[in-house]
Amino acid sequence: MKKSLFRLTDMLELSIAYIFCFFLNLLFDYVKTLDLDAYLLKAFLKNFIDYQSLIVLLFTFVVIVFHYQMLYRKNLEIFCRILVGDTVFNITIRYILDCLTILIFVYLLSAFINVHLNFNLTGNFYLVLIFITYILISVRQVRKYENF
Amino acid sequence: MKIFKYIVSKIFLRKAILGIGMVLLLCMANYITFTAVRSILSTFQGYQETRYINQEGFYIANLDPDSHIEMNTVRENGTQAVYDYINNNFNYAFYADGFIVSVPNIDDMEISLVYMNKEYYKLNQFELLQGTDLEFDYQFDKEIPVLIGKGLSKTYPVGSTIEIEESVLGRPITLKVQGILKQNAHHSNYYALNSKIYYNFSVLFPVNEEFINHANIDLQLNGLMDITILQTTKEEISNLSEVIKDNLGLKFNFFSQKENYNYINKYYFHTLKIISITTIILLIVITCLSIWNALVSVRLMLKDFTINLLVGLSYSKLKKIFYGYFGILSFIDLAVIFIITAFNRYGCWLRKDATFATYGLFGLIGMDWLALLLVAASDIIIGMIVVESMLWKIKKIPISLGVLQ
Repeated sequence: MKKSLFRLTDMLELSIAYIFCFFLNLLFDYVKTLDLDAYLLKAFLKNFIDYQSLIVLLFTFVVIVFHYQMLYRKNLEIFCRILVGDTVFNITIRYILDCLTILIFVYLLSAFINVHLNFNLTGNFYLVLIFITYILISVRQVRKYENF
Repeated sequence: MKIFKYIVSKIFLRKAILGIGMVLLLCMANYITFTAVRSILSTFQGYQETRYINQEGFYIANLDPDSHIEMNTVRENGTQAVYDYINNNFNYAFYADGFIVSVPNIDDMEISLVYMNKEYYKLNQFELLQGTDLEFDYQFDKEIPVLIGKGLSKTYPVGSTIEIEESVLGRPITLKVQGILKQNAHHSNYYALNSKIYYNFSVLFPVNEEFINHANIDLQLNGLMDITILQTTKEEISNLSEVIKDNLGLKFNFFSQKENYNYINKYYFHTLKIISITTIILLIVITCLSIWNALVSVRLMLKDFTINLLVGLSYSKLKKIFYGYFGILSFIDLAVIFIITAFNRYGCWLRKDATFATYGLFGLIGMDWLALLLVAASDIIIGMIVVESMLWKIKKIPISLGVLQ
């Protein structure tokens, strides 16, 4: 943790971004299970439920913004670490592991809620794959700051 | 303008991800606002329409949810007996729609026949673009005067005739165009006020007592479902329910004005309240995310802003630039919402969905434009909050410190 690029506020920020996306997906799944007798409400919610994946996907952009801004802010830190003997490979691995730890923690939390509400466990899993893709793409930015 | 272009291209666009993030958040906010506003407006429009038919002393029929129609058991003389009873004892507004016929027209749409009697027609006060009002005293073995929607007016101008091979009378009939309805004339479902059908490709067909007596069981039964008994009492309505039960084996409820308003107040206003609260909560969440995105932008672009402030850019000018930039992002989102709506509306024309095809710029009707206007207003409010938070953050940091960053 000592060598991590993440500070407590960064971890909190990323956790909140992940929680927001998982919660949004969970909210959609929950709304789908409601037995609404109000036609008007059903018609209103249908406008969103029909596009659930797209809406959740668009909101995951918040996570992209987080990765982008965090690594942009840390460019000097990355360069300094390399100056004092650290390697880009190690920094990258640590960054990936930190992101994955937070992601797994949040996913397990959402999976627990899924089990509690009797929802399909795989319902949230596609988000994990999306977030892993974002992490892998953002890793390229770490390498970019090798030559500050 | 020069400085605006410079700051947008050299500062904002160099970190385009943050701009895209803001566009997506605003897009979500706009979509939510637009959907909610349109639902509310459409329901309110439907509510206004029901006021014509929901008056003191009027009773609107409704098939009991537990009573199921079995067409084999319903006999034609049963429905006829019910209509005989209604004709002898009541004044009533008759309405039945959903009868699709194939009539050639230049838009190649399927035509929907809408049957209504004189009382229903008088209560609804249809506005005409051309021609004269419907006449109900006609000989149905001759030409029947009808009103048509605007979409049919190009093929069938006033005075022309329409041949229909299959009709509810079981034989071909000839219709004579008496008038043309104003564009986007519509009817709201009594039990789903936000749901509408548009009459642009419909034929408004006048029915009288003789016509109903000669019509097939489909029209008679369909008309009974939405029949409104005018100026009557609870006792007389109970007798009618008994007559329907005896002849058709169906349980019909007739609701008075008070009962209908109680239902609307309990059901619709409660639902609208839920929709409004949900929308406001979602908008607050999205505004918070937008503020976060804006503060992140300030954090990353602080150096650029402060250097410009150092060389003479004033805070008021910077504020104007921020508003201009946010205005561009809002405009992009409004255009996206417009395209989605136009795609949905125009899709009805492409799918040849006659009951939902509307006239207007790309099919957008008044309700859509009003919703877009309110979306623009919500964008202004979100924009003010976001821009002021950005400026607050910039002002909080001394210029010298910002430059050093």
